[in-house]
Amino acid sequence: MKIIVLAPADDNHTAPIKWGLEKAGHKVVCWAGLGWTVEQQASLSFANGDSLTLGPHSVDPGDAVWIRRPELPLPNPKTAEPDKKFAALEYRSLYHSVAYMLENFPVFCINKYSASRRIIQKSVQLHLARKCGLKIPATLMSNSPAAVRAFFARGGRTICKGFTPHVWQKEGQRTVAITETFELTGEQLPSDEVLTYAPAIYQELVPKEFDVRMVLLGGNIYSYALTNVKKALDWRQDAGLGHVVAEKIATPPDVEQGVLAFARQSGVCAGSLDFGVDAQGKWWFLEINEQGQFLWIDQFNRSARLMEKFCAFITAPEGSTEPLEARQDLFPSLQEYEELLKNEQVPPAGRPKQEDPFLSLEA
Amino acid sequence: MNSQSRVLIRQGARELNEHEVETVTGAFRTRHTLTPCFVDSKQQFLNGDQAIGECGG
Repeated sequence: MKIIVLAPADDNHTAPIKWGLEKAGHKVVCWAGLGWTVEQQASLSFANGDSLTLGPHSVDPGDAVWIRRPELPLPNPKTAEPDKKFAALEYRSLYHSVAYMLENFPVFCINKYSASRRIIQKSVQLHLARKCGLKIPATLMSNSPAAVRAFFARGGRTICKGFTPHVWQKEGQRTVAITETFELTGEQLPSDEVLTYAPAIYQELVPKEFDVRMVLLGGNIYSYALTNVKKALDWRQDAGLGHVVAEKIATPPDVEQGVLAFARQSGVCAGSLDFGVDAQGKWWFLEINEQGQFLWIDQFNRSARLMEKFCAFITAPEGSTEPLEARQDLFPSLQEYEELLKNEQVPPAGRPKQEDPFLSLEA
Repeated sequence: MNSQSRVLIRQGARELNEHEVETVTGAFRTRHTLTPCFVDSKQQFLNGDQAIGECGG
């Protein structure tokens, strides 16, 4: 049994987890995604049975496949100019054939690609969360000015956020503007024309006392209360600035049941979920990122040991009900990795080799 | 550029000054922090909760 990670080996979560798994004696290989080089080529064969090869690695029964952060398909740059558009689509089709096919092999997928593609849609998340008994804020996703204005006319406080994160960097400068949830009133709405420039998510403001980042690993749920000393609507940048404290918190039984039902119905076995908790102690589901970051919690709270838990999860049989805590001691901690990193005894995480779709330059 | 001509989300974006960018990117003595959303202004990329390699629709 080996663990196949679909990500560059220097991805910021792949690098420490690969190191931790290997230190515990597991075989780990990385495939950065489909590309034209030998290491990134892929072959699906349906000749004598079904087989899949990713670079030099065959996908074998019993393997675990972590679809972490594969890079976008990369066609050969020497492809003739008139053929580039066609080649790009063909590369994309092969990538999808590989990714969707993985779950048809007898391997443990984290997560199944079909489930991850569906659950990445925020509309599906909210629909399914409510169906599973989780409390969600009233939400509008739209590019229709009339619908947006009608949503604000319902009264109450409203926030606005994007579907995806984005960064704008001023050319020649190091200051940046980064997407963040912000409060908006009906009076502050821009012209109808501007509302059509980009769709957005408009949502009832959750009167939250604090945020919760929850990590789902199979049937295991770990919740951390994030206290933001600045009381900002959006804690993400404040986490990076050190303004957030992460403390383990018990998950209410009804929320736990709802999340496990959500996981069953979505087909997702791992993910990072965000909740807001109000003054009455009610948990409001905000979103899930099926490949969300989780190791940062170990940096904020060393007792979390999510790196060890994740290693225990990915090396356990699919659907195992054994508590991860029973095997987490088999693996080293993120802190140990960071010590080695500090002393340059392990290579640092790298940067994506391709253009970042989430960053724009502006004048 | 007139800010009123920009997308609404850009108008509500949070501005990080150079010091804040340094703090975010250098907080953990690794080249890349692990937090849910951060930008590396030196290397010009964003790494966050949402995967970028899912290859579009």
